[in-house]
Amino acid sequence: MTEKIRLEAVTKLFNTRGTTTVALKPVDLSVRDNEFVALVGPSGCGKSTILNMVAGLMPASGGRVLYDGAPVAGANRRVGYMTQKDTLLPWRSTADNIRLALELKCRRTAKSEADDRVAQMIDLVGLKGFEKHFPAELSGGMRKRAALARTLIYEPETLLMDEPFGALDAQLKLVMLDQLQRLTQDRRMTVLFVTHDLAEAITLADRIVIFSGRPGRIRSIHDIALPRPRDVYKARFDPDFAHLHATLWDEMKDDVIAAGARA
Amino acid sequence: MIAWAASPFGRIVTRVLLVLACLAFWQFIPVSRAVRFWMSSPSLIAEQFWLWLLDGTLWFHLQASLYVMAQGYVIGSAFGIVFGFLLGHFRRVHRVLTPFLSAVYAVPKIALTPLFIILLGVDNASKIALVGVTVFFLILTATIDGVRDVDHDMVQSFSLMGATRLEIVRKLLIPASLPWIFTGMRIAVRYAFTNTLLAELIASNRGLGFLIEFNSGNFNTTGSYAAIFALVLCSVGLTELLSRGEARIARWRLP
Repeated sequence: MTEKIRLEAVTKLFNTRGTTTVALKPVDLSVRDNEFVALVGPSGCGKSTILNMVAGLMPASGGRVLYDGAPVAGANRRVGYMTQKDTLLPWRSTADNIRLALELKCRRTAKSEADDRVAQMIDLVGLKGFEKHFPAELSGGMRKRAALARTLIYEPETLLMDEPFGALDAQLKLVMLDQLQRLTQDRRMTVLFVTHDLAEAITLADRIVIFSGRPGRIRSIHDIALPRPRDVYKARFDPDFAHLHATLWDEMKDDVIAAGARA
Repeated sequence: MIAWAASPFGRIVTRVLLVLACLAFWQFIPVSRAVRFWMSSPSLIAEQFWLWLLDGTLWFHLQASLYVMAQGYVIGSAFGIVFGFLLGHFRRVHRVLTPFLSAVYAVPKIALTPLFIILLGVDNASKIALVGVTVFFLILTATIDGVRDVDHDMVQSFSLMGATRLEIVRKLLIPASLPWIFTGMRIAVRYAFTNTLLAELIASNRGLGFLIEFNSGNFNTTGSYAAIFALVLCSVGLTELLSRGEARIARWRLP
């Protein structure tokens, strides 16, 4: 399979008020086309920074970030990015927020077709009945789902997700994971998925990249050989799953505990 | 008694009684003819007011004032919004211009009136210029603040979606800064009114400010009081109109 994203000795330094912090030590990572890669690790290990660099919102301090073999320069329009904070427009209703991408000149869509696709997306993320509500009138979980629908509606070839389901309750999270798996498989999307939930990562990912705490660097990379499609509701009761979870947890627990002690 | 005066109906009655008492005191206090000349009396003022109302004097001057105010307000707002967007968007230009802008912003615009009169004459143009400049700076700062307050993450999500610069302005910057612009425009109404009055007081041949100044100049105290009374009515009307408009806008906004 061809390579979609490649990080070559990428580093990131932040300058704040005269002091320089190393956010990321040299990182090498390659993501194949149609691959689902989860980045896990303690908070502050530079996972979100990597997404920002792939999206072209933040330049690397050293090394190169390649997308389809070409260096990323400026906003990368081939990716859909779901940030931790949702960026729904407060003056637009749920439906009008989701429709946003279809209104832009680069993918102008006829009104009837746009209406259909918006209705489909709303159905998919379970927001039926809330089309006319404004973001301020939605719960945190509903806002997340609206943001997901807004990103998926224009079918970007690559999806960057930064703890998208952190705010959801456990049951709803499983429903969303199931839908995400189906969508990304059907549309053959490449996904970079940041989470601190190991179970979530094992359920979805082809590969899991474990980061160590600040300054961030890759500790290890693991192939998840569980067969697809996976049943997200039952996967965690599978003995292979439990075994993987134990192994990976051993791998990262010292860093997580250390990060927790620092916080 | 006090409890009754605090009830809604009692409050109104108490207010009316209070006004009547003041007017009666003003009307009937025994004073010399000379003092009476300077303080006038409610009946004389009412007579004068009524006369102006009938012969059209009041409408003529009220219209003149509102005309100046409205023109200055609309012109100042339009330029303020346009330049506010430009400066909010091109931050480097704004950074270069900041000291000049704050210098001009800090000057009480009324001090420019004599200059405007030399440049534009004693007619409406000089007064419109004063009101326009005052409103312009208020709306300019409100708009710049509004544009700069737009969440940077939202701008980024727009560009990742493939939005053009124009689309970012139309679909994000303008709607996001509208509440700021509205707030600025609301505040500017009062400034526009005050500055219209001041300009008319300084040099003018019509308008409510002129009416006050003209009657005082002729030692017609009764006329001055009548003109001030007209001004009070006008201010109250404007304030009432504004607070109703605000209530309507507040209903559009979300909790």
